[in-house]
Amino acid sequence: MRAILVSAAVLLSITSCEKDKLPKTVDQRAYAVETIGKITTVKNLPADTIIGTNSIGQPVGAGRYSFFSLETGQWISNADSNSTKWDLAFAGTVVRINNATSGPGAGGAFVFNGTFESLSSISADSVFRLDNHPVAYAIPRGSGRAWYTYDGPTNLLTPIPGRTLVIRTATGKFAKVEMLNYYRGGQTPSATAADSVKTRDQRFLHFRYTYQGNGTTQF
Amino acid sequence: MRTSAVLLLLIAATQVMAQADTLLSLEEVVVTATRQERRLGNITIPVNLIQRRIIQQAGSLRLKDILQEQPGIQLTSNFGTGIQMQGLNPEHTLILLDGQPLIGRTSGVLDVSRIAVAGIKRIEIVKGPSSSLYGSEAMAGVINLITENPSLPLLEASLRYGVADPDQGWGVPFKNNSFQQTEATVDASYSIRKLKVKHNNNLLFADGVSFRPFSQVRVPRPIHRITHQTSIQQNLGNKAGLKILGRINQDRFQQEFSVSNNGMIIDSYGRELNNELNIQPTLFFRLSEKIRLHTRGYLTSYSGDQLLRFVQKPDSSYRDRFEQRLFRIEEQIDFKKENYTITAGVGYQVEQANSTRYDALANQKQNNVSYVFAQWELKGGDKWISILGARYDHHTLFSGAVTPKWSLRYKAKPSLSFTASVGQGFKAPDFRQLYLNFTNTVAGGYSVFGTQDAIRVINALNRLGQIAELKPDFTKLTTLSPEHATGINVSAQYTPTPAITWQVSIFRNDIQSLIDVRQVATRVDGSQLFSYLNVNRAFTQGVETSFQWQLQKKWSINAGYQLLLTGDKEEWERIKQGKEYIRESNGSSRVMNKKDYIGLPNRSKQQAQLKIKYEDKESRYVYMRLLYRSRWTVANSNGNGVHDVQDEYAKGFMQLHITGGLPLSNTIALQAGIDNVLNYQDVFYLPNVAGRTVFVTLRATLESKQSKK
Repeated sequence: MRAILVSAAVLLSITSCEKDKLPKTVDQRAYAVETIGKITTVKNLPADTIIGTNSIGQPVGAGRYSFFSLETGQWISNADSNSTKWDLAFAGTVVRINNATSGPGAGGAFVFNGTFESLSSISADSVFRLDNHPVAYAIPRGSGRAWYTYDGPTNLLTPIPGRTLVIRTATGKFAKVEMLNYYRGGQTPSATAADSVKTRDQRFLHFRYTYQGNGTTQF
Repeated sequence: MRTSAVLLLLIAATQVMAQADTLLSLEEVVVTATRQERRLGNITIPVNLIQRRIIQQAGSLRLKDILQEQPGIQLTSNFGTGIQMQGLNPEHTLILLDGQPLIGRTSGVLDVSRIAVAGIKRIEIVKGPSSSLYGSEAMAGVINLITENPSLPLLEASLRYGVADPDQGWGVPFKNNSFQQTEATVDASYSIRKLKVKHNNNLLFADGVSFRPFSQVRVPRPIHRITHQTSIQQNLGNKAGLKILGRINQDRFQQEFSVSNNGMIIDSYGRELNNELNIQPTLFFRLSEKIRLHTRGYLTSYSGDQLLRFVQKPDSSYRDRFEQRLFRIEEQIDFKKENYTITAGVGYQVEQANSTRYDALANQKQNNVSYVFAQWELKGGDKWISILGARYDHHTLFSGAVTPKWSLRYKAKPSLSFTASVGQGFKAPDFRQLYLNFTNTVAGGYSVFGTQDAIRVINALNRLGQIAELKPDFTKLTTLSPEHATGINVSAQYTPTPAITWQVSIFRNDIQSLIDVRQVATRVDGSQLFSYLNVNRAFTQGVETSFQWQLQKKWSINAGYQLLLTGDKEEWERIKQGKEYIRESNGSSRVMNKKDYIGLPNRSKQQAQLKIKYEDKESRYVYMRLLYRSRWTVANSNGNGVHDVQDEYAKGFMQLHITGGLPLSNTIALQAGIDNVLNYQDVFYLPNVAGRTVFVTLRATLESKQSKK
């Protein structure tokens, strides 16, 4: 833990040195993937963002999933949806794994109650669940069930701290994922922000993960 | 000229009421602490007493206005203006009118902006569990509104006009978004032979304000209100008397607004009608020097009718009706000996409710309560007084409740006394928690069921294949039992000179089996089904202090402060075990520390008042009140369900109110004031504060000198 912090601090100082040389403004609202040590952080991944409202005025997206490979850290084209190139697919609050009714892979998932750092190995008796798309998912939907809570009065969705998604990838490797934020820029709007802002900026996912490529369950 | 001559004929002579000291003396008589008249210096629990004179000088119209200036009381703004005492929710404070409970709560909240204070002589506030005398709801304490007794022939009329403008800060009458309020009061006392009569009529017309930047609308609503109160008193010989109090209150609210749900904006039109009636006959007998009897009857009814029409979804529009009635008969006997007094009582109560939000408006729900209480007050010379009491309430709908209380006053020196009390309070589940059958078709289609129906309704839905999932809490659904609290209050009162009083109190309340709304099932369409469970345990504790100082008969200074700490015991346990999480600034999770925990939401840790008054012999006065409340949590913004330092807060605030009075003649007095001088506004989290309001009141008082002996 301390080693990670130290290396992160070193890396931070390096990047800040570089920043000094090349003063460049980083777009906090753009899709970005960054790997520091074993941890990859994904920012602003659009997950079926809002394009309009339905007949009764509810905000809706186009119904398109964003496919993501934990192995390569890349956003995968929708053309490859029926392959093992992707491990997770996101649309709003839905997270699909690549197996069963969701894809041809060997995926599976469950929710671990504890911090990302505290999960150093997956215990042998763990049960990986499978998707039953579109009825139920290995990572359940619904407020307070898996990784988020939704509050009706404030109309805000917040990832629950201390929830780690344990993933078996499409090729049978393991990864741990922590959802960080649901809004563009990585900042949850204030409870008093206008609904138009909450609607416009939602479904931009922020998460971090560690992928173990050697097939073991140790992170 | 002729008119005034007629008035002079009618009333032999007039004069403005005699001056009374602003400071409370230990000689003041209160009734709430013991259910009989006791001097403040002789009671065993601290009582906060607010006199009519102060209510008038502060320019208060509604109970809300005067309560918000009291130490240890915080206003809440869900389901009307509620009050929080010692950190407990509004449903845990019992509000009495001449010792009898007011009904008509919405979601547990008795809206204190509903109650006009024009006919109120004094307000007594007792903090700490008081169920041993008053039964259900007296968990945090009791607020008793004492009405004016018919006395000297008197005619008093007052007219008040106020204006505010939330946009401009300063109100300009008749402008677009100006908030205007007009209040008129007519008070009359007279006698017909030995029958004394007093009427109080109060009218209030106040605008609503459309100062909402976004869709969540919570503003003072436009209101038309009429309150009429009549007391009659008749002596029946030397040893008996009869008093009847009648009160009618009528509210009408009307407004257009928008609500938001899941990002949808729904424009609506709302209309609300509330009617309230209280009738209280009291018969008094003095059997001997030692024994007194009080027979009290009480009849009260409340009806609310709400209409909400949605512009975009007219078929979702609804009309809600709620009717509640309470009948009570009670007998109290006081037996007084040299060094002890025994008070005992027995009563029977019938409470009924109908609501469109229960299964059907036609189906009447009923709960009968029988109760007995007794209290033994023992005096140890001039040094100490001890009161031991208990009450048993039997409810036909739930298990009974026994609530004991013991309290003590010890006078160490004439200038220094200590009080201590330990007591139990309880709150019986209300009809809503038992019978609610409500589906919100607008906000996401969730449903809430009272526990009497939840199991049956959900099982029936399940047989029809309508239930996707039963939550673990579903299996815990059972008959609700009353909520309980144990409270400890210890205080010291120091009076070094008659002009100075300093009081410090420490309190702790442990609350068991709090009723909470929990999700018990999910429908196949994903909508949630909720019901009620006795689950939570919580605590509140703190320190309250107040200081009064009278300077040279003209100045009086009054300062108060409360420090409040609260917590949910299960949450606190999980934090101690490292099972709650919070986020770092970079978004990653970590285990929550104890110091991250805030406790129960919607509570300010600190609260203070400073009141300064200057008043001369001619009744000219300036009264200034500065109120402070620290920030309070309003929303859980990091998703952990526990309130912590990372959550969203409403900003702390300062409020300043200034009033001034000037007698123009013997009969006419002018009052002018500015409420909320600093123009504090929080549309979202304390919308019941209307922004800076300037007002003027003209009061005419004609009082007979003759009947004074």
